[in-house]
Amino acid sequence: MKTSIYAIIGVFIASLFGGIGALYLKKGSDNIKLNFWKLIKNYDLIKGILCYGFSTLLFIPSLKFGELSVLYPITSFTYIWVILFSLIFLNERMNKYKWLGLILIVIGVILIGIGS
Amino acid sequence: MKITKRMAIFIIILSTFLNTFAEVSYKLGANKLELNVISIITNYSLFLGLTAYGVSACLLIIALRGGKLSVLYPIFATGYVWVTLTSIYFFHEVLSLYKIFGVLFIILGISLINYNNQTNHNNLSNKVLQ
Repeated sequence: MKTSIYAIIGVFIASLFGGIGALYLKKGSDNIKLNFWKLIKNYDLIKGILCYGFSTLLFIPSLKFGELSVLYPITSFTYIWVILFSLIFLNERMNKYKWLGLILIVIGVILIGIGS
Repeated sequence: MKITKRMAIFIIILSTFLNTFAEVSYKLGANKLELNVISIITNYSLFLGLTAYGVSACLLIIALRGGKLSVLYPIFATGYVWVTLTSIYFFHEVLSLYKIFGVLFIILGISLINYNNQTNHNNLSNKVLQ
């Protein structure tokens, strides 16, 4: 089975929403309390969960149009988005290991993309 | 409940395999996917995948209470190997050198990102699970 470029783009956008979801979950987790009303009023938490939901909703139909062994590794781009968003929005610090890791993931995904 | 390092590693391995199971179920479900309500709500593979994914995510959070990210994430990242191998076995996908090196680079990358991370995320997961 050949993997459609649309499936690759679909998974790529799904990974982007996974990254946005992680950012919101992190923000929401700062004031998490096990109290039902406080949980449903924790809008960051809810936005995070919605982003994850949307990401899954995009990921699964994309799998119909390609190989799992090509499309699943592309989800590792979520790690890249998470690092970039933590850098930009949470003022987290980078170090050389993170940069190197980020580059290796990009190379890995490109290799799998070329191979397909 | 106190989670020891050894338990954390056992739980993360379980989580990794459940995650692989979830991805394969998603693929099975996606192959049968059609735009009609009945076919979606009777798509058991899809719901099996979603359930396995949910349990896997919970186990990941629990494991993070007892161990370091720098140890646990590389184990979790081996999921890319298991998913690739099961895709070849179940869906007769082709293994290529590109896929082998691609997966190796990704696992190395994920491991490096967490290499220097000494947090064991006790605070976060304790808050969630208290």
